[in-house]
Amino acid sequence: MSAADATRAQVLPKTTLPKKTRTPREKKKWTPGEIVVMAVLSVLVIAVAAPVFYALLQSFRSYSEITIDPMGLPTAFTLDNYIALFQQTDYAEALLNTLIITVGTVVLLVAIVPMAAYGIERVGGWTGRFLYVLFIAGLMIPFQVRMIPLVKGFNDVGLYSTLTAVILVHLGGAASFGILLYCSFIKGIPIEVEEAAHVDGAGRLRTFWLIVFPMLMPVTSAFVIIQALGLWNDFFVPLVFLDSSSAGTINVAINRMIGLLTSQWQLIYTGAILAIIPSVAIFAGFQRYFIKGMSVGAVKG
Amino acid sequence: MSDQSSMEGGVGVASATALLPGDSPLHAAPETRPPALPRRGRLGIAGRGRLVLLGFVAPALVIYLLMVIVPSLQSVQLSFTNWDGISEGYDYVGTKNYQDILTDDRFWNAVRNTLVLGLGSAVVINIIALVAALMLDRLNHLQGLFRTAVYLPALVSAFIMATIWKYLLNYNFGSVNSVLRDLGLPDWARDWLGDSSIVVWVILFITCFTLGGNTTLIYLANLQSVPQELLEAARIDGAGAWKVFWNVTWPMIAGAITVNMTLAMIAGWVIFDQVMVLTSGGPGFVSETMAFFIYKVGFGEYRAGFGSAAAVVLFIVVIISTVGANAYMRKREIQA
Repeated sequence: MSAADATRAQVLPKTTLPKKTRTPREKKKWTPGEIVVMAVLSVLVIAVAAPVFYALLQSFRSYSEITIDPMGLPTAFTLDNYIALFQQTDYAEALLNTLIITVGTVVLLVAIVPMAAYGIERVGGWTGRFLYVLFIAGLMIPFQVRMIPLVKGFNDVGLYSTLTAVILVHLGGAASFGILLYCSFIKGIPIEVEEAAHVDGAGRLRTFWLIVFPMLMPVTSAFVIIQALGLWNDFFVPLVFLDSSSAGTINVAINRMIGLLTSQWQLIYTGAILAIIPSVAIFAGFQRYFIKGMSVGAVKG
Repeated sequence: MSDQSSMEGGVGVASATALLPGDSPLHAAPETRPPALPRRGRLGIAGRGRLVLLGFVAPALVIYLLMVIVPSLQSVQLSFTNWDGISEGYDYVGTKNYQDILTDDRFWNAVRNTLVLGLGSAVVINIIALVAALMLDRLNHLQGLFRTAVYLPALVSAFIMATIWKYLLNYNFGSVNSVLRDLGLPDWARDWLGDSSIVVWVILFITCFTLGGNTTLIYLANLQSVPQELLEAARIDGAGAWKVFWNVTWPMIAGAITVNMTLAMIAGWVIFDQVMVLTSGGPGFVSETMAFFIYKVGFGEYRAGFGSAAAVVLFIVVIISTVGANAYMRKREIQA
């Protein structure tokens, strides 16, 4: 719980204030001030989104158009770049790799992290406290600190430059945040429900997956979305753990194109746009959970 | 937020039955454990039940230990060696790597860049995000639409944003220079990423394009939990907009400021994507950050022992700055 909540509780004893003084939003009138605020916000959004929109337009330009006028706007829309990207580069394979890493990591995280958080909370006492602190400490260990020994270790066991290595590295990195998020939620689940299940003869495992896990759905949605976006957008981990014999992930593939295809920026832009689309789709589909998850995660952090 | 009451209910149950651990160590709460309830036969405490629960933790714990804790400790060990990153063997060289780092101008340049980029982007992003959140909070119409619009750019990763800007900043045909020439300002056009006197500031500018969306959402969530009654009371008492903000809203969102500044600082210490894509640390070593320095030294220059020592230094800096900043800001919250 944030200190803001605590402060509010002190400043505002419930009994001293009328409860409903807030005017319902929909009855409010449009004011000039509000229109100004909207205009300012629009300018801000356009300023940040302009480069992306420009990249989108560039991805529809033909190669000849780019050669004549490298920075102009498209005169005719063509999908040639999208076709060329898949024919001339191994972007398709990189896309598949990225998908495997994202989905694989998220599925495994959901399989192990909520259960671990439940175990930590319910075992309690000194043991629970120690395990909690051990996991949370990971939040302060930068990836750079562990990457050199990890490369060495994966080399020793023959897993270097495999998707398995990338997934394992991500699992370790995401565990800390997951434990933090889940533990603060599990605290709020009344234990009587579990005891009832226990009396009815359900074991721990059944109680967890059938009773507790469904109650954790709001956290799980937020956790999955935050992780999926982060994994999809990640560049550093696959850069370090996938060597040039692999197609890499989409970001690694685009990075290689910057080195190899410097005269074909329209292909690089096309790859960049394709990399953004799934993020937007994930966000559009789960927006409600996402915003809730972001704010909950922050307030609990 | 919405689960707040249920959370408190949970803690209440915990102290009543003595089955839950005390509050998490991060928020020390007074422990009111009733004495000596019979433990045996209750869930999750005695004998076999305890083992089952520890079994629940085991898979995550094993992966976490193997992927985070053990390699971090190995990094400390490697930092005392002259390992090149590929050979089978290596020798222990004592504190030589650390001595070399502390006298290496290139390392201190990377530290300076990390400070400029990390703290600079944290401050700029937080100010812009707070202003954006305050404006969003004031909207009575179309708030959802604008909230989504403000967030959308944050879905573009730091890597992709840097890739797009690399093209826009190209000296010969990039849009930035073209626009400047078209505007009749050809003197302003320059090699943005190749000019060592400005390159770090250019990277800072591009870094500020990412992360703003998340920060805005966190501020907005906290602003909307500030009770309207309090704001109205202040207005009735004759406070102007600035006074209301400074004396009511600002103290109320102190928690969000702590969270956002801490998150931004942690992100700032490990800035890598932008440097890798835009300049590869160049020209020369001018635009290297600590994260990039460790990557380059460890893998590009076959000095893994030296890179490990730099990583250990980074780790110490992150811990001190995170814990220190958090302690300072939490203290400020209580005063506020």
